[in-house]
Amino acid sequence: MATDLRISNISKIYPGCIANDNVSLQFKSGKIYALLGENGAGKSTLVKILSGVISPDNGEVFLNEKNLKLSSPLDAKKNKIGMVFQHFNLFETLSVFENLSIDATEDNKSLRLRINEIFKKYNFSIDLDVPVLNLSAGQKQKVEIIRCLLRSPKVLIMDEPTSVLTEQETEELFISLKKFCDEGILIIYITHKLKEVLSLCDEVAVMRKGKVVSVSQTQNEKVETLANKMVGQKLAKIKKKINISKNKDEIFKVKHLNFYSDDPFETNLVNLNFSVKKGECLGIAGISGNGQNELFQILSGEIITPNTSIIFRNKEIAKLNPKQRREYLMAFSPEDRISQAAVPELKIYENVALNNFKASNFFEKGLVNERKIKDHSKKILSDFSVNTDNVELKSQFLSGGNLQKLILGRELITAPELLICYNPTWGLDVGAINYIHETLIKINDQEKSTILISTDTEELLKLSDRIAVIYKGKLSKIMSSEEVTPEKLGVLMGGGSID
Amino acid sequence: MSLDISFIGILIGSIMASSVPLILAASGELITERSGVLNLGVEGMMIIGAISGFALMVITDNLFIAIVGSMLSGVIISLIFGFLTQSLLTNHVATGLALTIFGIGLSAMLGKNFVGIPGKEFPILFSSLRESIPFFGPILFGHSIVLYFAFALPFLTNYFLKKTKLGLIVRAVGDSPVSASNQGINVILVRYCCILYGGAMCGLAGAYLSLIYTPQWIENMTAGRGWIALALVVFATWSPIKVLIGALIFGGITILQLHMQAIGFRIPVQFLSALPYLMTIIVLVVISRDSRKIKLNTPTSLGRIFYKEK
Repeated sequence: MATDLRISNISKIYPGCIANDNVSLQFKSGKIYALLGENGAGKSTLVKILSGVISPDNGEVFLNEKNLKLSSPLDAKKNKIGMVFQHFNLFETLSVFENLSIDATEDNKSLRLRINEIFKKYNFSIDLDVPVLNLSAGQKQKVEIIRCLLRSPKVLIMDEPTSVLTEQETEELFISLKKFCDEGILIIYITHKLKEVLSLCDEVAVMRKGKVVSVSQTQNEKVETLANKMVGQKLAKIKKKINISKNKDEIFKVKHLNFYSDDPFETNLVNLNFSVKKGECLGIAGISGNGQNELFQILSGEIITPNTSIIFRNKEIAKLNPKQRREYLMAFSPEDRISQAAVPELKIYENVALNNFKASNFFEKGLVNERKIKDHSKKILSDFSVNTDNVELKSQFLSGGNLQKLILGRELITAPELLICYNPTWGLDVGAINYIHETLIKINDQEKSTILISTDTEELLKLSDRIAVIYKGKLSKIMSSEEVTPEKLGVLMGGGSID
Repeated sequence: MSLDISFIGILIGSIMASSVPLILAASGELITERSGVLNLGVEGMMIIGAISGFALMVITDNLFIAIVGSMLSGVIISLIFGFLTQSLLTNHVATGLALTIFGIGLSAMLGKNFVGIPGKEFPILFSSLRESIPFFGPILFGHSIVLYFAFALPFLTNYFLKKTKLGLIVRAVGDSPVSASNQGINVILVRYCCILYGGAMCGLAGAYLSLIYTPQWIENMTAGRGWIALALVVFATWSPIKVLIGALIFGGITILQLHMQAIGFRIPVQFLSALPYLMTIIVLVVISRDSRKIKLNTPTSLGRIFYKEK
């Protein structure tokens, strides 16, 4: 039987923010629908309403012309609406089977039979008796999907399902989703990744600031058109003017950087030598896990290696810790925003104070100068267009893009001579990526230098003046970006050689 | 002192009796904590159970009413805790501490008129078998029904948590209340039930002290047993069977060191008095070393306030 899901005039208002503003959409089974939007556009609010987790202030949901009262997740379940959340809704310490049986009405034996049927049908294979915390992200997602399938859903909603998956797992997911679709399940796919929309979905609705701004057939869209709709303005094409002047001073010079570790999960670094000139961006490419983590930690001073020489502004800094290096006007933006760059439970201004400079006078005689920190934080929020002016907000409530802007702002507001960043746009949406790229280019324009360690080749080619590739802890020769092509980088990143 | 076999039997029997309040209170608290609620009011709930059990016994002269009443009083006082933490979203730790202080004060006030009144003899089961079988007699027979219940309780608790649907729901709520709520489980209701059950068991543990173990009312007669029960739950890594082992070790060494003091061992008394605490911790740490198991048994959301999105 065909399924027809209609959302009519849904509104949801939170204090200070209209999450959904009069949203109306229609979906029919047999197609995969994309709901596209930046972080904070209101997609997640909408799907939470559809799954009964929150109730709308206004509006109605119709399934096959029946008006649904979705006041709890149970109601969504009863009406055969299944939902796979972005942050998995699993019980980590319970076994896979326990997770699946918790809301089953049948006995364990027949449940196992049904699960095995689903496994066979879709080519899944997961050990049912291991605790969920032992599973990979892709397997966890499969458990979530199976939990929905066990209730033979009419509608399956996927909230940013690929954000934690590897490429291989993503492909598997797409194959399964297409199968579900062929079997008549209506699929709503929430994402901010444009390429996924184009390769998977039939129809796409774009949301911006709580409103639906466009509904169209995917075949009529391209990455650029969708990106413009999503952001609401024409995205400027960013291309940096490459600046290689041979006679500029070397501001940062690394010699004989070696790192040996007994930990099998760390990569040894073998004799890295490189230098960065004033106003230059040095890109370091590579597939993740080739020593980037270790390199970043050594450059930032979290790890001190013996016999290494690091000269920064004519001073030897190899033995200094991160705080001392900051005092010499270095700045760092680690890959992991949540656990390394910021403390999610702390408020914005407290996170700003963590980057404690002698010159900033955040602390006087052991006491916190709260007003000073707050003023400073406000300046960061406005200078770096973070989407809030509330410095009391806990950092965990910022979206990835806004958190990254805050971190960059915190690092840059002291006007450092060298910024070292590692995957600065990881997991961000187009608008935020663009903003951060512009910021990084601006730094170079001001004659300050950057080292950009990134796994995103496109980003490196866009921003770097010179690029080197790291592979198994060894650095390739450093090339001017003019002579580098994505193909060349690809070969080097895979361990091949050029020339 | 003669270490003959019947003496050892009697000794083991008395160790079992002394560990009953710990087993009861810890098993109750274990369920509460498994649902993600940290109730530090165990001591307070026990002492309220002790005084209400004793008072009801004096007033009604009926032990059954006294026992049931003590459990009800535990339920009522834990309901205060539940209302504050689950409905008004107060901090678990602070509320639990307040509950203990409140319980100790209230029991002292209520108990003023009951000091010095002699208790009533609690019926014991199989008393004839106790005398007729050497060694095993004093261990297995001649106890109150509450003791038999207490020793069955850890196994029942284990079965409940591992094998029943409701137990699965309790564990799920303790693991991730948000996920549970999104699955349509009424997290607040589940937690209320676990809190009230914990209260009932603590009330019973208190009544065991004032009606059976030392049948009289003495102010502050729980003497820190509630805190020991709390520690047992944590050191037993939320496993009911290990709670039983821990309670027996604690009870055992408490009794043994008393005998050692009486005999006049040349060990400082302070050290002997500290021995039960030390040994219980050491043994429980050693038997629960497996970090994977700890992770699987620990209620991830323990002590965290849950509020439903609206």
